[in-house]
Amino acid sequence: MKRILILMLLVFISIAVLFTGCKKKAPEKVTLVYGTTEKVTDMDTASAYDFHTWEIFQNIYQGLLAYKPGTTELVPGLAESYTVNAAGDEYTFKLREGLKFTDGTPFNAKAVKWSIDRVMALEGDPSWLVTDFVKSVEVVDEYTVKFILPNAIAYFPALVATVPYFPLNPNVYPEDKIVRDPSEMTGGQLVGLGAFKVSSFKRDEEVVLDANPDYYGEKPKVDRIIIRYFADATTMRLALESGEIDLAYKTLNPSDIKDLSAKSTFTTNKLQGPYIRYICYETSESIFKDKLLREAMSALVDRQDFIDKVYLGQNAPLYSMVPMGMIYHTDDFKSVYGDANVAKAEELLTKAGYSASNPLTFTMWYTPSHYGDTEVHLAEVLKEQFEKTPMVKVDLKSAEWAAYKDKWKSKEMPMYLLGWYPDYIDPDNYTAAFAGTSGSKGMGINFSDPEWDALFTQEQTNPDPKVRQQVFEKLQKMWTVDVPTTPLYQGNLYVFTNKNVSGVKIGPTLIFNYNQLDITE
Amino acid sequence: MKGLLRYAITRILMTIPMLFILLTIVFLVLRVMPGDPVSAMLGAHAPERVIEEKKEELGLNKPILVQYVNYLGQLARFDLGNSMVLKQRVSAPIKEKLPATIELTFWGMVFTLLIGVPLGAYAANKRRTGRDFGIRLYGNIAYCIPVYWMGLMLQLIFGVYLKWLPVAGRTSPRMLSSQFSKTGFYLFDTLLAGNMRAFNDVAIHLLLPSLTLGIVLSGIFVRLTRANMLDVLKSDYVLAARARGVSEKLVVYKHGLKNAFIPILTMLGLQFAILLAGAVLTETTFSWPGMGRLLMERIYLRDYPTVQGVIVVFALMVSVISLMVDLLYAAIDPRVKY
Amino acid sequence: MNSTVKAKYSPASFLGAFLKKISKANKTYGVEWWIMIAGIVIVLFMLFTAFFPQVLAPYLPGDQDAGTQLEAPSMQHLFGTDNLNRDIFSRVIYGSRTILGVAFAAAFLSSIIGIPLGLISGYAGGVFDRILSLVMDSIYSFPGLILAIAFAAMLGPGVVNITLAVSVIYIPTYFRLVRGQVLTLKEELYVEAARSIGAGDSAILFKYIFPNVIATVAIVFSLNIADAIMTEAALSYIGLGLPAGIPDWGMDISIGKSFLPSGVWWMITFPGLAIILLALGFTMLGEGLAEILNPRLLEK
Repeated sequence: MKRILILMLLVFISIAVLFTGCKKKAPEKVTLVYGTTEKVTDMDTASAYDFHTWEIFQNIYQGLLAYKPGTTELVPGLAESYTVNAAGDEYTFKLREGLKFTDGTPFNAKAVKWSIDRVMALEGDPSWLVTDFVKSVEVVDEYTVKFILPNAIAYFPALVATVPYFPLNPNVYPEDKIVRDPSEMTGGQLVGLGAFKVSSFKRDEEVVLDANPDYYGEKPKVDRIIIRYFADATTMRLALESGEIDLAYKTLNPSDIKDLSAKSTFTTNKLQGPYIRYICYETSESIFKDKLLREAMSALVDRQDFIDKVYLGQNAPLYSMVPMGMIYHTDDFKSVYGDANVAKAEELLTKAGYSASNPLTFTMWYTPSHYGDTEVHLAEVLKEQFEKTPMVKVDLKSAEWAAYKDKWKSKEMPMYLLGWYPDYIDPDNYTAAFAGTSGSKGMGINFSDPEWDALFTQEQTNPDPKVRQQVFEKLQKMWTVDVPTTPLYQGNLYVFTNKNVSGVKIGPTLIFNYNQLDITE
Repeated sequence: MKGLLRYAITRILMTIPMLFILLTIVFLVLRVMPGDPVSAMLGAHAPERVIEEKKEELGLNKPILVQYVNYLGQLARFDLGNSMVLKQRVSAPIKEKLPATIELTFWGMVFTLLIGVPLGAYAANKRRTGRDFGIRLYGNIAYCIPVYWMGLMLQLIFGVYLKWLPVAGRTSPRMLSSQFSKTGFYLFDTLLAGNMRAFNDVAIHLLLPSLTLGIVLSGIFVRLTRANMLDVLKSDYVLAARARGVSEKLVVYKHGLKNAFIPILTMLGLQFAILLAGAVLTETTFSWPGMGRLLMERIYLRDYPTVQGVIVVFALMVSVISLMVDLLYAAIDPRVKY
Repeated sequence: MNSTVKAKYSPASFLGAFLKKISKANKTYGVEWWIMIAGIVIVLFMLFTAFFPQVLAPYLPGDQDAGTQLEAPSMQHLFGTDNLNRDIFSRVIYGSRTILGVAFAAAFLSSIIGIPLGLISGYAGGVFDRILSLVMDSIYSFPGLILAIAFAAMLGPGVVNITLAVSVIYIPTYFRLVRGQVLTLKEELYVEAARSIGAGDSAILFKYIFPNVIATVAIVFSLNIADAIMTEAALSYIGLGLPAGIPDWGMDISIGKSFLPSGVWWMITFPGLAIILLALGFTMLGEGLAEILNPRLLEK
């Protein structure tokens, strides 16, 4: 028995030692290897609701409208143009003619209607993006399609650019079933109208995308993109350092980003993302129904301090719920409160009846893994910042994501930390979702004010950019007075590439157009 | 032999109530836990109507007792059910992750024995000397090392400083397991496929995690081997061998160890639960895609059926190992009668 | 049980014998005696740091102005600083309070549930005993940590919650131990004698049987604390432990993990060494006691 064990060990070790790092021979195609720690969910527009899967869809399919790479500017996609009726509740799209899905199925108004109806019928996670805003879709003629909305929606074009609105190939996707892997589809291939097509799909291992020769738009500069999936950030970082991947995106640890940025062997692409973090207050029943306290908390927050400590300087302070780079953004929290404004906070707290001998005591909640390992530290630093004045005492409590959600619904948490990725690219998605009566209830903030609701209705239905600008500027001013939430920071995105890679363009839309990528030998 | 068979059957039947009790505990714990799979899975936007519909669909609106009876009924048909969060059978991820855990546990066990048994035997031989004391101290310290900490230290030394060994995962990013994977036991699969490059890759990925487990658990085995060896060395049988003039080394390492091996084997069965717990922690440290990580992931998602399924499999593994050890013990040792 | 313990059956005389035996032990048991002394020294030292952390720690554990970011160990900061500028040495010192508190409370809780259950179950026998034993054996044979993970996830983070989660998995340890001893003891002559002179069940149980179980319980209690320390740290490491704001070794290791590829070794090394030292202290104490009081116990 002992001999067998030793033999096994010897075999094991000798083979391990024998290991020599033989590299694959250079492939003939121009290939770029992209590493990520994200995961692909369902390869179905009716069900996928995460940025990585959406990113793949944005490269293999196309929306009727698209974004100019790296910007928030909407440009024609599969539709050449669109018109809106006077009431603002009917959008008519004129489609590009003569396009075919790779299997020969023609692209036409029927395919658009079929895809939208399918998303509405299957009721997947992102389906509310369609069902809440579209009453029905009509085929006007072969290349004209009309969306009938329940009421005027000013930002409807931004919605049409989201993935659930993407036209699918009706001959490939099953009508009544959500698809998880491409292998479940007719023909087993995921072929769309985008710049790339999926040529191999191995869940959690790799997805191989090849340039789509039939693509009508700007031809990709690389022939093949291999997306490799990593279980953890450390391995991905080491793989980038050893040259196994050409590009690393989402999500490296702050310490890895710091080290890699300092190295001259890589290109650091630092981008402003659409991701924001903020403090929520339960505003209807908890201690924070007194808005003076919410104001005081906003004054105490010191943004650069936690960005330096927790994120090693890698995110940007945010002074409005509408992020930087988004239309109508203003910096009101900065001018009204600034950072670590203890004097102002003490004044407000005194006004609310608190003092050093009678301090404001409350529990701040956070969720330990949903926002990464750093969340514990964010909570600890915020506690320290609030307690800069002796008039505040903070208790920290945490709950796992599933429990956290229950707790905000049951109004258990007076103060809690949340983060937001937009569903569609419009300031509305960063404001009404928190301070509009129904959105606010869903987030556990329970803020409700008829004046605010009227303003939201106005910006939602009036397509005039001037009017919308006025409304959003007013809303952001009011935000500093009523403080339904306190903005903390805006996430920066880091894409590290080898020196020979260029064309990384990811805008506030978080859309990563692979056809812009280039790699030189 | 007939007695042995009857014993085996009784032992197998005895694992059923154990499974049942554990399942009941876990079932209740999961339902009492705040949060449910529907709210964990749906976005904040999901309207109440959709949430209620989903709950209805998953049977979460039924009384707990009904859910429990239904689940037991399902289990009795050897069906672990469907995941409540992902569109998959519970058995699908388990089939995928179980080999990873077994492979890790097996090699962890091998390292444990390779380190623990010789050291323990040596210490027994050099009883009450400085070396004995040193080895016993090693055993005590090793037992007290948190397994994840040991893993991190080895990662730091061999992965970050020396850059000799990979720090996480089962294969390199460029080595795709789908090219060779059949059974999920990669070491075996790569050999079967005759892919030596892949075999090397798999082996070096396995080295650090299994060594971590081996070092930490060797502590117990040093102590056990030493104690059993001391007993054996006092026995008439060894005394007789000594009297016959058999060399001391031969007495200790051949005759002694051979006789101490049965009790060590029994201990192996008892320590298996500790080994599994250690494997769970090692998996988190080394991003090892095994059952431990599956369990943690699904607890967070409140995926009740999958969590229950994982617990069932863990409990089965423990029972099967202790059963095997018992039977082996009964078969080897003629004195044991059942 | 060995014969000397058997003869004494009143709690006071038992305690006397216990102390006498220990005080004499250094002559009979060389190495074991010193192992136990070393264990006691470590445990006392850790208890001291837990009760009077301010004596040794130069900073408060949450002090975010203790130094600059991620300083390597130096004379100023013996164990270096973390990314929140906190002094790791001070965090380790204060952390002993957290982990000792949880481990003691958990071990205490499981013993006061496990021991009476074991006593009653072993003494009463019958169906009750069989069912309870089956339940306890099931829990005992299952990997404790995995069960603790389920309980900790159910209860959520918090000092009391994690104590409960840890204590649940050790109840069977005490139950099995005590029940096993009761089964042997209740057949003993002096118990028979007590019964024949008309002593009631509860009197027999608590006056004659329980005192004889104490010695083994003391050993197991000490070893159990070592185990509970490891379990608490492991739960904290995987993120199911305590909320932020309480210095906790396991949590500090898990946070230091992401700094490992940058070569920041001090964030993980020192809290880990502290766990080893503390667990080792209780193990050595328990083993020393075992060798002296009941040499066969640990080999069973």
